[in-house]
Amino acid sequence: MPEPLLQISELNVAFDTARGEVRPVRDVSLSIYPGQTVAVVGESGCGKSVTAMSILRLIPSPPSKVLSGSIRFQGRDLLSLSEKEMQSVRGKEIAMIFQEPMTSLNPVYSIGDQIAEAVVLHQNVGSREAMRIAEQSLRDVGIADPHRRMREYPHEMSGGMRQRIMIAMALSCKPKLLIADEPTTALDVTIQAQILELLRKIQRQTGMAIMLITHDLGVVAENADVVNVMYASRIVESATVEDLFDRPKHPYTQGLFRSIPKLGTTAKRLDTITGTVPNPAKFPAGCKFHPRCDKMNGDPICATVEPLLREIAPGHWASCHHVENFANSPVTLPQLQHKREDMVPLATEVKA
Amino acid sequence: MTTDATAIIAPAIAPAPPESDRGRGYFASAWIRTFRQAGAKVGMTWIVIVVFAGVFAPLIASSYPIAMRDSSGHWSSPMFKVLDYADITLMLLTLIGVASYVLQRLNIRQARYGLWLVAAIVALTPLTYLLRPGQPPVSDFAYEHYRMGVANGSILRAIHTIIPYSPSDRLTDKPSGLQSNPPSREHWLGTTDNAEDVLSRMIHASRTAVSVGFVATSIALFIGVLVGGVMGYFVGVADIIGMRLIEIFEAIPTLILIITFVTFYRDYMNIYSIMAIIGATSWTGDARFVRAEFLRLRDQDFVHAAKAAGLPLRSILFRHMLPNGITPLLISTSFGVASAILTESYLSFLGLGIPDRASWGQMLDAARGQGTSFAWWLAVFPGGAIFLTVFAYNLIGESVRDALDPKLLQRDS
Repeated sequence: MPEPLLQISELNVAFDTARGEVRPVRDVSLSIYPGQTVAVVGESGCGKSVTAMSILRLIPSPPSKVLSGSIRFQGRDLLSLSEKEMQSVRGKEIAMIFQEPMTSLNPVYSIGDQIAEAVVLHQNVGSREAMRIAEQSLRDVGIADPHRRMREYPHEMSGGMRQRIMIAMALSCKPKLLIADEPTTALDVTIQAQILELLRKIQRQTGMAIMLITHDLGVVAENADVVNVMYASRIVESATVEDLFDRPKHPYTQGLFRSIPKLGTTAKRLDTITGTVPNPAKFPAGCKFHPRCDKMNGDPICATVEPLLREIAPGHWASCHHVENFANSPVTLPQLQHKREDMVPLATEVKA
Repeated sequence: MTTDATAIIAPAIAPAPPESDRGRGYFASAWIRTFRQAGAKVGMTWIVIVVFAGVFAPLIASSYPIAMRDSSGHWSSPMFKVLDYADITLMLLTLIGVASYVLQRLNIRQARYGLWLVAAIVALTPLTYLLRPGQPPVSDFAYEHYRMGVANGSILRAIHTIIPYSPSDRLTDKPSGLQSNPPSREHWLGTTDNAEDVLSRMIHASRTAVSVGFVATSIALFIGVLVGGVMGYFVGVADIIGMRLIEIFEAIPTLILIITFVTFYRDYMNIYSIMAIIGATSWTGDARFVRAEFLRLRDQDFVHAAKAAGLPLRSILFRHMLPNGITPLLISTSFGVASAILTESYLSFLGLGIPDRASWGQMLDAARGQGTSFAWWLAVFPGGAIFLTVFAYNLIGESVRDALDPKLLQRDS
């Protein structure tokens, strides 16, 4: 059993806002093994980006603090590192790409300068060597004529190219983990496919792990090995991609799948999950999903007791009082562990 | 002291330059758009003239001949003898600057490294001045040598600079001496009541004006960027303290503060302390601009991306945030230079400048003359120079603002 590359356990994050404390991340636990793609899926505001940002300790305003939990990366607890040590983890060990390629590049520097700056910092090389590495990483992400592109500025690039450049920048220091925060949301569909294909290719070549944050289940199906579904600051279901897509257990996950338009159906209206995502400042008591749940059937336990994650099948975890054959299983703490060997091959490889 | 710059519009994000700017960075295209405008061209031309006049003043206006031959057939150059290290360094640095600009325009990249090396060596030459043990000032000797030579006819030949008068040459041995004279063929812009040549003084004074403008504004910029940057990036307590500091500084009437300071510390004043005082009292506007820009930039994606790449705070603040928030500063700086020049002129006009240093304001003061006399040539020419220089900086500031205004930019492209 290999050691997990990244292990988040029982992470709790709080924001100090003018209207009191808000907790965007509650008891989140997940593990990422080398070479694995772990997806975190959920609606806007469910805490998936905050979880990702806490790994790099980059939670922006409002002022926030980690209440409890640990984030272990290769055996080191990232939460206890000094800011200086953290700087050598960011970019070098764990890289991140963002949702908005249009604004993620600094408009005043040329592409080459921007990539080379991080390379010089993390790899202890001279600027000439850094430029060579930068050019190679541009070539790796499929930028045509990288030598010329190095000297160009972000405003001369399309959105897809900029996202490739962001990926090149993230990969230039050969990180062990790439956090991709909605990497394709801002791109059009053909470019999305290219970028995801690129990430898969690089992952196969380098054995890097990817934490894929998205709200697009199509992207998850194509790319992820393990999926964590988040709802209202908690992980509500966690399983391998096959398990989750074939046998979704949590009513929220099931609702998500029902809301995907399908080919060949004649339904006039698309199914939706009724209601809206609760405001993080005043979450409902009990199961946070119960006001929107169609499985509840007036069961008072849903409105009073918050369900914990429980292992329903090997490697398949969900937090719901009403999953079939579920109510009697013992409550255990989540120890989400998946082995690469256990998992299905990548979705694309299955198709091919 | 700060010129009103409320009209500055900070672009929401550094706007993408129009298509014609392919292959150019933000600043390169901003530079080009600025100097495409007539106002900026005119302003820059005047500033270049003033800068060159100031830097090369000893070669343009000097009582010492460039070359002379005495009766023994011996050639010498009193003018070069009296140049001090500061003069030579300044001239060489300017020449290197011009050369590197030309080479850059011609796209000769490698040549720049050599030039920087030369510039570094030149910049270090004043240090050798400190290492030299005390020597008698060469200027008096050369001056007397030449004058006596002229008087007893031992100078056979002398080649003079364009204006053959030093700024404080009182021409005591000339028949026209020791009174203020209107412009004549000998003294193109007249003389002061000490019989000093006005044109020569004005040329030497442009060095004062330019250096006061640049140094005072640089000091203001430095303090403003530091204070504003810390306020805008760290917010919270730093912001509150910084803002109160700014309010305190803005509550003090700057000119009165400077006048008080100059009167009390008369003996310790030189031109550099004047620059420092002007700079130290005019940074508040810059700090406000930088704070506002940093507040906007700290949550921009590329700043998050820079943090996620593990870049140190220094790089995030000054390499990634500052260049993107510098637009309002560029504009306020060019107005700031103008107002620093004006402040120095006020002080000199009030007789609080540096007595032995030629300055336009001081000459304006001298125009009042003794009694009822009014020397118009002492008011018009230096006053005109102040007006033109301040006007030129304002023209450039205006053009920079237009060049960086995203609304105008969209209309262009």
